[in-house]
Amino acid sequence: MNKQRLMRSFSKTLTHSHHSFSTSSSSNNFAIKNVTKSNFDSCLSDLRRHVKDADFVAIDLEMTGVTSAPWRESFEFDRYDVRYLKVKDSADKFAVVQFGVCPFRWDRSKHSFVAHPHNFYIFPRQEVGGDDGSYEFFCQTSSIDFLSKYQFDFNLCVKEGISYLSRALEDKARLQLHSVHEDELSESSCTVKDIKDLPLVRMTDILFVERMKTKISEWHDDLLLTRNGRPGRTPEDSSDSIAHFQTIFFRMRPAIKLNGFTSRQLRLIKSVVEKSFKDLAYIRVNDGSCAQQLIVYTESRSDLDLLMKEVKGIHFKEAEMKIGTAIGFRHVIDLLSSEQKLIVGHNCFLDIAHVCRKFIGPLPLNLKEFVTLVQKNFPYIIDTKILLNGNSMLQLKMKKSSTSLAKAFAIICPHIASADNMLGPAQSPSVSVEVQVDDMSWNSGAKHEAGYDAFMTGCIFAQACNLLDIDFSSHLMLMKEEKLRNYINLLYLSWTSGDIVDLKTGEATTECSAFMTFKIQQPKILFSNIVLIWGFSPTLKAKPIKETLCKVFGLTSVTSIYHLDKTAVFVQFSQPELVHDFLELKSKIEKKNEALYVLHPLSDLLEGGRTRAASYEVYKDICGSPLSKVLFADQAAAVGVDLNTKMLESKAHKNGSFDNSDIPMDTKISETEQPMKSSPGSKNLHREEILDIVSC
Amino acid sequence: MYKQKNVVLNHWLPPFPMVRRGRFLCSETSKFFNQKQTPTHRPIKQVTKSNFSDSLSQLKTQISGSDFVAVSLQKTGSYSSPWHRILPFDTAEIAYLKAKYAAERFQILQFAVCPFSIRADANHYKLIAHPFNFHLFPRDELKLGMPCYSFSCQPSYIASMAKEDFDFNVCIYDGISYLSRAQETAAKHLTGNPVSSNYAVQPSTTRSVADNVFVERIKSRVRNWISACKRSDMRSEDALVSSLRRLILGGEEYGSRPSLNIDVCSERQVQLVFEMVKSHYSNVVPLAITSKGGGTQFVRVVLTSSQEDRELLKKELRNMEEEQSRRLCGFREVIDFISASQKPIVAHNLLNDFTFIHSKFLYPLPPTMDEFTSSLHSAFPDILDVNHLMKEISPLTKYSSLPAATSYLKRNFFAPIKMVIPQKGSMEESKNHGHGVVRISELFAKLCFILRILPQAEYHNPDGPSLKRYTNVFSPDSNNFQDSDEADDISIWTNNPMKISINNLVFLWGFRSGTSAGKLKNLLSKSHNLLSEDHAFDVRLVDNSCAVIVFWKDGLSEWFLDAIDSGDGLRELAAEGMMAAGYDTYKRICESEILGVDLADSLAEFDRISEAHTKEPQEVYWNSDLMINFDDL
Repeated sequence: MNKQRLMRSFSKTLTHSHHSFSTSSSSNNFAIKNVTKSNFDSCLSDLRRHVKDADFVAIDLEMTGVTSAPWRESFEFDRYDVRYLKVKDSADKFAVVQFGVCPFRWDRSKHSFVAHPHNFYIFPRQEVGGDDGSYEFFCQTSSIDFLSKYQFDFNLCVKEGISYLSRALEDKARLQLHSVHEDELSESSCTVKDIKDLPLVRMTDILFVERMKTKISEWHDDLLLTRNGRPGRTPEDSSDSIAHFQTIFFRMRPAIKLNGFTSRQLRLIKSVVEKSFKDLAYIRVNDGSCAQQLIVYTESRSDLDLLMKEVKGIHFKEAEMKIGTAIGFRHVIDLLSSEQKLIVGHNCFLDIAHVCRKFIGPLPLNLKEFVTLVQKNFPYIIDTKILLNGNSMLQLKMKKSSTSLAKAFAIICPHIASADNMLGPAQSPSVSVEVQVDDMSWNSGAKHEAGYDAFMTGCIFAQACNLLDIDFSSHLMLMKEEKLRNYINLLYLSWTSGDIVDLKTGEATTECSAFMTFKIQQPKILFSNIVLIWGFSPTLKAKPIKETLCKVFGLTSVTSIYHLDKTAVFVQFSQPELVHDFLELKSKIEKKNEALYVLHPLSDLLEGGRTRAASYEVYKDICGSPLSKVLFADQAAAVGVDLNTKMLESKAHKNGSFDNSDIPMDTKISETEQPMKSSPGSKNLHREEILDIVSC
Repeated sequence: MYKQKNVVLNHWLPPFPMVRRGRFLCSETSKFFNQKQTPTHRPIKQVTKSNFSDSLSQLKTQISGSDFVAVSLQKTGSYSSPWHRILPFDTAEIAYLKAKYAAERFQILQFAVCPFSIRADANHYKLIAHPFNFHLFPRDELKLGMPCYSFSCQPSYIASMAKEDFDFNVCIYDGISYLSRAQETAAKHLTGNPVSSNYAVQPSTTRSVADNVFVERIKSRVRNWISACKRSDMRSEDALVSSLRRLILGGEEYGSRPSLNIDVCSERQVQLVFEMVKSHYSNVVPLAITSKGGGTQFVRVVLTSSQEDRELLKKELRNMEEEQSRRLCGFREVIDFISASQKPIVAHNLLNDFTFIHSKFLYPLPPTMDEFTSSLHSAFPDILDVNHLMKEISPLTKYSSLPAATSYLKRNFFAPIKMVIPQKGSMEESKNHGHGVVRISELFAKLCFILRILPQAEYHNPDGPSLKRYTNVFSPDSNNFQDSDEADDISIWTNNPMKISINNLVFLWGFRSGTSAGKLKNLLSKSHNLLSEDHAFDVRLVDNSCAVIVFWKDGLSEWFLDAIDSGDGLRELAAEGMMAAGYDTYKRICESEILGVDLADSLAEFDRISEAHTKEPQEVYWNSDLMINFDDL
């Protein structure tokens, strides 16, 4: 998750050293195509071609944030399922503002890769549907500040960013449209008419209505006269009305265009037409970009119905078109998905989660289902970070240095990253990459944007394949390549812990390569031995808590203790039974107010009466909540209501595929249900708690 | 028969003479409107990080010289979902909870302040305004995770801001950061105020032997040091001797003054040193030097040459502390100054704006409306809501937006206002943001004219029409809430003044999304005899998935809830999957802080919880009063 940050700080130094390598535009910088609303359509057709021809496509995303609360950052004590929930929360809450797509094609004649880096600005503007909260997004202050340090153009993003519609929302919109349309068709036109009239309260309204009535009936009568073969009045007679009334034909019927009225006047005209003229219909059609109101003359009742049906048909088509155009940037994702190309990312689990959340639909609640969703849409994903850390040859090349994107790029692709072409070929055979962009609207990449990141990722992958002696000229597709078989479809669930998820099986494992030597091997964490304690006095630190617990349960009872934030700790006991013992003892002390317990060693921990404790499963539930309070204790208190119902339900069935706790359910939560008892006293207590913690 | 407890404003006709503006008499007066500068030419001072301190001193002068201060905010959003808006059937308490929810979620990007005065000229009011527009961004300047870790954005809101050419880059790149009062206290605690002279000296308690020994030791040390300093003052000594002396005595220079560091092991000793110095050495100023962790690291005593010098030093220290806190509080200095000036504040949408102001610049929002109003009152004693003043003029219509209110006044009243903005704009015109605040002050001036209130005469003529009665009114339908005993009565629709009890409201969901209110009403009236009567009930949609039914007869709502729950009576509806819940459930959702996107989902969830609760036996549960305080023993 720190990938972007690290990368940027490194590549900052690179910017100045970039010189032309084999760019088609012999500028000093990389050329990266910037895509916004205005040039999206034209770019899309080019991109389709490039992706179709590509051997692989590198992607990278820039988001408005990574974690919505400090305790949502990645911890050692996070189990796979909790890690997934944290990634899910991130993908749910933050917006993607830039999307880098870079197709790479192997050019046999030139014996080099041809890359087409694209930098899409996207913004979750809502184009269809009502006022729906699903578009709201979070910004993490530090991330926004970070983007601004690299001159991210927020104005361009908001004003010119390409919008998108996920598949799920598209389906929903279409479904709703169809049901409304069917309803409208089944309704007879008379029921439509009982729309509430505008109350004519103002004098001006009454006058206006009367005037309109006369005018419309004049036009109406005139029409009948002309029809009956008699000459109508000359336009001069009604010159004053010309500005407003203009006779045209709508679907072979005479009609008036209503121009230059205010929306209130239009509503009044509508009610006049519907009330006073049986053979006239008031309709609204879209004329190009703006709505156009018309009064249409119909022959008969059935003709009127027919007209209304036609108009509804037009509206339906328009609405469908609108949904179609609202898909926007998702076309790119659909393209990547349908072409089944090899997707290359760098530490890209979060990126993939964002892609699924933003363009496919809501993320499933557990990792297994998520993995299935990813496999279905993107069958071949390769993570360059996995590749660099997993292969001993590449590890050697990396010389145990950091595998952050920029660093890796500098080491693996020195011939691209720096101008010193002398160095590259001498050391080892390196694959050259040629950048191609069309002449228009490209910027001097290298500004650490998503497009450039994607390009770097792709270069690393190409060079790594080269180092692995993969023959690009062979007819084998890269994803079928035997030498990549051990790395494909593996992603870091969390880079720091080395947890890897296999997209084919959904199994999560901890990395155990030789590479792990420089990572400190943690003793195995037993989640069933863990108790989560929060809400204690803020001055209490891990050490005194450990001492207190050791006093009660024995010197070796506590294996480790870990601060989540200043309001909460994980305590890992040596025995799973101790979790149960602790929770039981705690509730016993709290329930009885005997003086005896005042001297109990645990009293320090329970001081203040707001200390809560629960087993590891509750931590998972709290992480799964959509809420994000800054302090963990506040979060736990606020989630309390939700949790309580879950506890009641979960008595019936155990949940979760990763659930390895053997604790009886009733001890899973000891005190969390108290604050939300509906009695006023406890409610106040609950509120105070939040206040206290926020203010300290 | 329905309850009609309180009819909003029985005096439809205003109690004061009003000048209704005729449709045709405007030719002569319209020059006032034409004269009015078009918005883009109004010079509003744009303030960012770079010109903050200069602008601040200007603003302070203007506030001091003005009668009122208008404020207006530009936020990143106002509600997450349609039903999170303050709805007509919300009680004052719920309205507050919703405003609180939004204030804690969204962020302020611009804060416009406009000190203004109104003067009566021959036949019009003259408005003298000094608009400032501050660009804010909650940058974590101190790397403490403050003022805010993350905030939410409503894309439709952001997109409409973009249409008005809002410059996000200016805000994010150059916006001024801030800390709330609560955060400042926390930050001081975390960073440690390096130097503090106002260590609270508490009345001496009995001293132990150890204390006495410590005090005597320090006393003699300070005495020696002072005499050494005085001696060295008299004769000029060479650098070597003075540095040797410093080495031996442990003295240092504090600025130009000699100082001595005294190591302490406890806060108790800090206190002892302070006491001793205060009582024995009038020319010595003790300073507590805090460590990063928060505790006092050592006490530094500084020797001053005279009484004046002592005062000078104290002043220097005060300035330093102010500088430190200015660095911490950032933009909040503006808020603090407005608050200290005690000038009446004019706002539009008081509840929304001031929940934001309270939570971002003062303290976290308290759980109840009462606590909020009293907390806010202590910071801002007089707040006027132009929306509320509008209600005085047009009680039946709600003008939620400023332009709507302005155009309503323009149409119906003759209120000539001549606006003068003495200052010059600071940026190019396209970047001239913050017009809302000018519009608010203009609207306020108009309303004063119409209501015949001459603001500055107020204090001279206490019997005349006064603004006092319009201040600090928080809820949208405030007239009634202020002194109504039955705070649970609400006026159900905006344009209907009828008051009904919240007990007569039922929330209904489970119908197909997209069903219209009319259709629902039809469906309901066909479902049972009790509902088929005319005027038995009314239905409105709250959002796509949920509707609210108001029963005009008491008792009908309880029957309805029972019937739909049990399935008898309303079998048809229940079979279609319709569910219903009372106002109570709605209230609990708003109290819970977990406001879902769809009201229907939240209602379903909470309804389930309350059922679960009633089935659960009530246990003895935690009560803080019963808990023994371990510190007392």
